[in-house]
Amino acid sequence: MPDAPLPATVSAPAAAPLPPAAPWIVVKFGGTSVATRERWDTILRLAASRRAEGARVVVVVSALSGVTDALKALCALPPDERVAAAGRLTERHRALAAEMGLGRVEAMERWLDSLQRAAADGPGAGGELAWQAEVQAHGELLSSALGAVFLTAKGLSTQWLDARTCYAATDLPFLNERARLLSAQVEPRHDPALAADLAARGEVFITQGFIARDGQGRTVLLGRGGSDTSASYFGALLRAARVEIWTDVAGMFSANPRQVPAARLLTRLDYEEAQEIATTGAKVLHPRCLSPLREARVPLLIKDTQRPELAGTEIGPEVREQAPSIKAISSRRGITLVSMESVGMWQQVGFLADVFAHFKRHGLSVDLIGSAETNVTVSLDPTENLLDSDVVAALAADLARVCRVKVIAPCAAVTLVGRGMRGMLHKLSAVLAEFGQLRVHLITQSSNNLNLTFVVDEDVVDDLLPRLHEMLVRAGALRADDATLFGPSWQALYGRAAAAAPAPWWRAARPRLLKLAAERSPRYVYHLPTVRAHARALRASGVIDRLYYAVKANPHPVLLRALAEEGLGFECVSPGELAAVAANVPASAPRLFTPNFAPRGDYAEALADGILTTLDALHPLQHWGRLFKGREIALRVDLGRGLGHHDKVRTGGEGSKFGLPLDQLDAFLALADDCGARLRGLHAHLGSGILDAAHWGEVYAQLASLAERIGSIEFLNVGGGLGVPAHPDDLPLDVHAVMRHLAEVKRAYPQYALWMEPGRYLVAEAGVLLARVTQDKRKGAAHYLGADAGMNSLIRPALYAAWHEIVNLSRLDAEADTLYQVVGPICETGDVLGSDRRLPASAEGDVLLIANAGAYGAAMASRYNLREPAEETVIE
Amino acid sequence: MSAEKTMPALQDPRQAQAFRFVRCGYADGVAELAYAFDDGPELVERVVFPQAPALPAERRAAFDAALRLLHLVAGVSYYKAGVPARIVVDGWTPDAAAAALMDELYLHGLAEFAYRNRLDLRGRIRFPRGGTAGAPATTLHLPRRTLVPIGGGKDSLVAVEALKRIGEQATAAWVGRSALIEACASRTGLPMLNLGRELSPLLFELNRLGAWNGHIPVTAINSAILACAALLYGHDTIAFANERSASSATLEYEGQAVNHQWSKGLAFERMFHAYLKSHVAADLHYCSLLRPFSELAVTRAFARLPQYFDAFSSCNRNFRILGPRPADRWCGQCPKCHFVFLALAPFLPKPRLLAIFGRNLLDDDAQTAGFDALMEYRDHKPFECVGEAAEARAAMEALAQRPEWREDALVARYREEIRPQILTAQLALEPWLEPSGEHLLPARLSGALDAIRGA
Repeated sequence: MPDAPLPATVSAPAAAPLPPAAPWIVVKFGGTSVATRERWDTILRLAASRRAEGARVVVVVSALSGVTDALKALCALPPDERVAAAGRLTERHRALAAEMGLGRVEAMERWLDSLQRAAADGPGAGGELAWQAEVQAHGELLSSALGAVFLTAKGLSTQWLDARTCYAATDLPFLNERARLLSAQVEPRHDPALAADLAARGEVFITQGFIARDGQGRTVLLGRGGSDTSASYFGALLRAARVEIWTDVAGMFSANPRQVPAARLLTRLDYEEAQEIATTGAKVLHPRCLSPLREARVPLLIKDTQRPELAGTEIGPEVREQAPSIKAISSRRGITLVSMESVGMWQQVGFLADVFAHFKRHGLSVDLIGSAETNVTVSLDPTENLLDSDVVAALAADLARVCRVKVIAPCAAVTLVGRGMRGMLHKLSAVLAEFGQLRVHLITQSSNNLNLTFVVDEDVVDDLLPRLHEMLVRAGALRADDATLFGPSWQALYGRAAAAAPAPWWRAARPRLLKLAAERSPRYVYHLPTVRAHARALRASGVIDRLYYAVKANPHPVLLRALAEEGLGFECVSPGELAAVAANVPASAPRLFTPNFAPRGDYAEALADGILTTLDALHPLQHWGRLFKGREIALRVDLGRGLGHHDKVRTGGEGSKFGLPLDQLDAFLALADDCGARLRGLHAHLGSGILDAAHWGEVYAQLASLAERIGSIEFLNVGGGLGVPAHPDDLPLDVHAVMRHLAEVKRAYPQYALWMEPGRYLVAEAGVLLARVTQDKRKGAAHYLGADAGMNSLIRPALYAAWHEIVNLSRLDAEADTLYQVVGPICETGDVLGSDRRLPASAEGDVLLIANAGAYGAAMASRYNLREPAEETVIE
Repeated sequence: MSAEKTMPALQDPRQAQAFRFVRCGYADGVAELAYAFDDGPELVERVVFPQAPALPAERRAAFDAALRLLHLVAGVSYYKAGVPARIVVDGWTPDAAAAALMDELYLHGLAEFAYRNRLDLRGRIRFPRGGTAGAPATTLHLPRRTLVPIGGGKDSLVAVEALKRIGEQATAAWVGRSALIEACASRTGLPMLNLGRELSPLLFELNRLGAWNGHIPVTAINSAILACAALLYGHDTIAFANERSASSATLEYEGQAVNHQWSKGLAFERMFHAYLKSHVAADLHYCSLLRPFSELAVTRAFARLPQYFDAFSSCNRNFRILGPRPADRWCGQCPKCHFVFLALAPFLPKPRLLAIFGRNLLDDDAQTAGFDALMEYRDHKPFECVGEAAEARAAMEALAQRPEWREDALVARYREEIRPQILTAQLALEPWLEPSGEHLLPARLSGALDAIRGA
C-alpha cells in the first residue's frame, strides 16, 4: 500500500466521528523517528491519514534515540551523579518541545519531575531491579506525553494512553526477578472490552512501547526489541486491521544488505517465514513480535519512515497460490558445534537424554541438531558464558566419559528460508556444488519445511553469502523476477545512486546491426569505441601503473591494435597468443606470458623472446632451472580462496589448478635463487565476474604483505576478473571505487608498481552475437525458439550457466509477452542460449541480439557438429 | 631522490670494495644517516622525531654519542646489500668498545642473512677501531619515565599493562607507519610517540642491481632510535618486551649459531645496556621487562587482557590495511600465527581463542608442517620470533589432555604419532610459567615482574 508524501499540516479532522466498530490500526515509531520536529511532522501526517482511512489509530512510540541507554547508564551511576544525569535528560526533552513549537508541556513535566525524584531517591523497598525498570520506563512516558500534546496541537486530537493499563506481563514461574522485571513477556488476547472502552474515549491514541505492568502492578520492561513487541501486543489486543512498524529501512530483505548489497526487498511473507528469517539473523524485526499477531491473524507491515512511497514488507497468513521460492538467506556467526561420537548410542535407551542432561547442567542451550547412528552433533549459540568461562571445557570433560567429543568452532549457520523447501531441492544443484567446496559440518532441515541450514567454517561466510544469493537467483530458486514477492534490491534503494546506466551501444546501432544480420548470420559484431572507452576508464585514474589486456578474452586483431593504441600491454597464455600479439601490435607494447601447466617448450620460446614470464608451480624451476638463469620472473600465488560467479571460473583455492600455494613460497624462493632467476613480481587472480569494488585492493594488500618478506619484488599484479553485470538492472562495477581502494592500499605500500590484467571487462559489452530465428516449437508448457547461432558460437551459457541478455532486435519495442526457451541448432541438450526469456512473439527471420558476447564468445567457438561458428565483424 | 647525489651512478653493491659510514647529523627533529659503497652515491636514511623539543644543552654530548651509535647500527640495512670486505667510518674512529659491539651485532645479527645467502661473514666483519674512549658518560638526571616500544603483538601489551599496574609513567613508542601498532597503542591509554624511519630510496635501486637481501637485526636499530628519543624527549628507561626464548638459537650452521631474533636476545641486551651506560648516559637504562619469562608465561599473562583480543596481531604478514575480520590480522599460515595460537590455547576458553583467530588452526591438516616445525619434529625451528620447541611441545601436551581439544586433527596427530616418539619427561606446562634467569631491570621496575606472573 504505497503512501504518497502527505501535506505538512493536517486539515481539519474528519468531520464524521467514527462508528464504535471502526477498525484499528497500530503504527509504531522508533527512537530516531521521535527525536526531531521533522520526524514528528511525519508521525502526524501518517497518523492523520490512517484516521482519514476510517480507522482508529494507536501510535506506539519509543524513547528519543539514546535516551534508554542514558537511563540505563543513570541507573549505574553513583547517587550523587544521578540527579545531574536526569537534569541532562530534562534539558534534552525541553529542547525538543521548544523545537516542536510547544511551550511548557505540563504532561511531560510531570514525568520529568517523577524521573528527578526516582533518580534522587534511588532504589526503594521494591529493590534495585524494580527501581531500574521504573527509571527506564520514563523514556517512553516522556516521548508519548510530548507526542500527545504535539499531535493534538496540530489538529489531530490524540489521547495519551498508559500502556501499563492495557496489558500485564505473564507470570512465568521459572523466570528470575531480573527477567520478570527487565525482559518480561505478555501473552495478549483479543480484548473487546478494552477496544470498546478506548473507542468510547477517542479516535487517536498515543502510547508507550517497551513497558508493561506485572501481576503486582509494578512497571516492567519488555527487553530488546520491546517497542516493536508492544505494537504487536496492541495489534493482538485490539485485533487491529494491521500493525505498521515504521523504521529506517523499507522492510526485510532476502539477505543482510551489509553482506549482500544485491539483496531484494521482501514484499510479502507469511508469519512462519518471517519468524524464521528474523530468528536466523535479520535484525529489522524482533522475532518475538510475530507470534501474538499470527494467532490473531493481524497483518504486520514494515515501512521506511523516510521513504513512505516504498511498498515495504507485508507479513500475513500463508498465501497458498504463490510459486514456491526461497525468500532469504541468513547467517549467524560465532556458532560452536559439539560433535559426539559413540558406537554405544545405537538403540541405547536414554543416551540422548543423558547427553542433553550435561548441556542443561552447564546452562547451555542447544540450537541445531543432526544425528546419525553413531554421531550426534549439536550447535551452541555464542554467549558470554561460552566465550569467557570454562564451560566448554567442563562440558567436554563430562561428555568425554560417555563418548568421543569434538568441539568445532568458529562456525556459521547459513540458512535458506522459504516455504516448501524440500520441493525446491532440485533447483539447488549449483548451491550444493558451492557447499561441496567447503567444510560443511552439519546440515539440518526441519519438518516444517521452511528452512535448510548448513553449518560451515565462519571465515567463509562473508564471501559465500553474496555468491549464494546470486546463485539462488540464477537457478530460479529465489524468484527475484516475481514482483508479487520481491521488491527492488537494497543497492538500488539505498546504495550509491543507481545512476541511470547509459543505454547499451547497440540500441543506437540497431539499423546497422539489422543490415549486418540481413547480410549474414550468425555473426559477432564488436563496437570499437566501447572497447576504447573501457580501456580509458581504467587508465583515467592513473592508479594502475601498467594495464595488460588478457588476450584470451578475445584475440581479434583489430581489438588488439586498438588496445595497443590505448597504451595497454598484453597478457598471453600460449605461444599462439604471443604470436597473435606479435603479428598485430608494435614490439614496444609490453607483454607478459602467464601460462598454466604449459609444456617446457612454451617457456623456452617465451623466455628466448625476452618476455616476462609468470610461474605458478615449483616444477619448472625444479626441472628446467637452466631456462630461468639470469631471467626476471613473476610468481602467481594462490591466496587460498577463490571468487567468481561459477566454479569453473574460480581460479583461487584448493579446487583450482592455478597458483602456487603459500606454503610452498619458501621452497620457490630457494629454487629461484638456485637457478639464478630474479623474482620481480607477485601475481594473484582469484576469479572472474567480481563486482566487489574492494576486492583488488585486498589482493594488493595481501600480495604486498608477502612481497615485503621477499625483498626483490618490484610489481604486484592483482589480476583481472572485473565484473560485467549480466542483467540490465544490475549495477555495474564502480570503477572509481575500485581505484579508490587501490590508491589507499598503494599509499601504504608505495614501493611496488601496480599491474592489472583485465580481459572480459574491456571487451564483453562491446560485442553482440546476432542470430536469426529459424523456427518455434511447443512441447508441453515449454515454448522453444530456435536461433541459427548455437553453443558452437557461444558456449558460455552451457559451460558456465552464464546469463546473456537476449532481445528481438527486429521487434525491439514490442511488448515482451511470450516466454521462450531460446535454443540453437546443435544436437546437444545443453544448446540453450537462454531459458525462460520474455520476448515479443517472434517469427522466422527475426534478428535476435545476444548481448555482452564480446568476451569468451568467438574465442571459445568451435566447429562442433561441423557447423561453422559465427564470423566476426568490427564496427566503429 | 632529488636530495640524493645522483652522480656517480649506482653500481651493483656486491662488486664494492668498501662500505662507508659517510656522515650523520641531526636538525629540527630529523636525523640524517648517510652511507655509501666505495665512492658511490650517498644512501641517506632519515629518522624523524615528531614534535621534537629543543635538546637541553646538558644532554647534547650524550645525544651526539647516541646518534653516532644509531649511525653505526642502522648501517646494517645498507652494508648487507653488498657485504664488502672493508668497513670505513669517515670523520671519527670508534673506540674498542664501539667496534666490538658493532662486530658482534653485524656478525650475529646478519647470521640468518648469511645462512640464507650461503655467505660466511666470520672474519669478514671488522669495524675500524683505535679511537680513544672519551670520558665516561655522566649522569644526566633524566626524568624517571619509561619508553616502551609497542609492536602490535602480545608481548609489548603485556609489558605495558605490567608498567601500568606498578604506576610507572610510560610512553608507548613505535617506529614507522603501522595501523596495527597505532590501534594497539591507542588502546593502551598511554601517551604515544610514533617515530618515523625512511630508508634511502636508493636501497630499492640497489635491489634491482642485484643486492643481497635478507633478515636484519631490526630490534637493534629500533633500540638505537629509542636511545636518541629517550634523550630528546626525556626518559631514563627503555623497556623492551623480549623474552627468554629470544636468546636461543634457531639452528647451527657450519659451527655458527644462527638466531633469527639475536638482537632480541640477552647477549645483545647486555652489550647495548653496558654501552649506553658507559658511552651515552650513566642513568639511561636499557632492559627487557619480559626477559625472565618464557613465551608461555607471557601468553598466560596476555590471556588476562581481553581488551586487546580484537586489536593485536603477531602475524608476520604485517597487514598494513586493517580490516574488521580476524583474517585481516591473522594469515593463519605463518609460524607466528601457529605459535601464538598454540601458546594461548592452554590459557583461554576454546571458543574465545577461535574467535580471535577466526578459525581453528589445530583442526586444519594444511597446517601440519607448520606445527611440526614449532615442535622441532622433523624440522628446525622456523626463522621467526617464536618460542622454544619444548614450549610448543608442552602446550601441545596440555591440549592433548583436554577433551575439548584432543580430537582436533593436529592434536590427535600429536597424540598418536608424535608423542610416542618424544621424551615425555619435559612436557609439563607449569615449569614454563615461572620466571627464571638474568634480567637487567632497574629496581624501580622490579614490581612489574610480579604483575606479569599474575601475583
